[in-house]
Amino acid sequence: MEEKLLTIGQAAEYLGVSLNTLRRWDENGKLVAIKKGGGTHRYYRENDLEIFASDLMKFASEWIQDGIEFPGTFYCPTSSIFNARLTKMQDILIRKPGFEELYSLIVLITGEIGDNSFAHNLGKWPDTAGIFFGYDLEKRIIVLADRGLGVLATLRQARPKLSNHVEAVKVAFTEFVSGRAPEKRGNGLKLVREVVADRPIDLFFTSGDAEVRMKGQDKVFRVTRGQRVVRGCLAKIEF
Amino acid sequence: MYMKLQLEKFGKTLISRELGREAFKAFQSTLRDFPKNEELEMDFSGVLTLSPSWADEFLTPLLSQLNNRLVLLKSDNLSVGATIKILQEANKETFRVK
Repeated sequence: MEEKLLTIGQAAEYLGVSLNTLRRWDENGKLVAIKKGGGTHRYYRENDLEIFASDLMKFASEWIQDGIEFPGTFYCPTSSIFNARLTKMQDILIRKPGFEELYSLIVLITGEIGDNSFAHNLGKWPDTAGIFFGYDLEKRIIVLADRGLGVLATLRQARPKLSNHVEAVKVAFTEFVSGRAPEKRGNGLKLVREVVADRPIDLFFTSGDAEVRMKGQDKVFRVTRGQRVVRGCLAKIEF
Repeated sequence: MYMKLQLEKFGKTLISRELGREAFKAFQSTLRDFPKNEELEMDFSGVLTLSPSWADEFLTPLLSQLNNRLVLLKSDNLSVGATIKILQEANKETFRVK
């Protein structure tokens, strides 16, 4: 049986990108279209689009690193859109066998990391406002990213003496930082660390060249210096 | 004497700092008519996720306003438990729980 092909318009809707983006991705080989019988019209297999859209970490890291466009279905330009999409994720997760109780902690972690991006960058986004928020609950992975100021620049407003990313990320995850009134500071990342340490949830978090990896059985909280420097923040949650 | 507040009325997913702040402002009008000798019981049933950011904008200032007249009803929701715990550590104040 011949597989049904989607037109470029249908594919654009599926991925949440413009027709021009799809044409560009076809020309530069990022997502190659099918052309029937030597024609010029572009078609796509739904299965190919699904596979293309599944590489959440690639989209998120390419975006914060080089500003490369990603499928618009993962983009939350405002905090209210993020909240709506998070609630939708919660509705699916709550029905997943084995997650009847744990769902609320996974939503809490995701919500805190995502909300931090908005709260700390409101009116200060260096270029693109908003966050990347993608999840695949079958593969049990959630990815969040922003092109904001990052942890060091944000925390320096309350702790001017912080000298590098590693130190800043360590403070963010371990200390209660109080900001200058009226700006409030979150305790969210402290709770994220505690929940990840106690529960079957893994976390990778990076900002600047600082990296946090809490994974597997023996989860020790440690901030290390990575090879690359990323803009804003990137987080991967696995469970 | 006490008044009960169903937190669920502010939403089932209480995540963002911004919305916590709005909820606190909205609740101030109810609190104006609240007799000084009454307790406020906070009922978490129906809430699916409560985050420390939302709670820090709502429960923390409410505790400053009401002190020991604020009573939290026990909840078996994991996010509620974890959030209350971290707020107590951060603010170095304990909530009354019933």
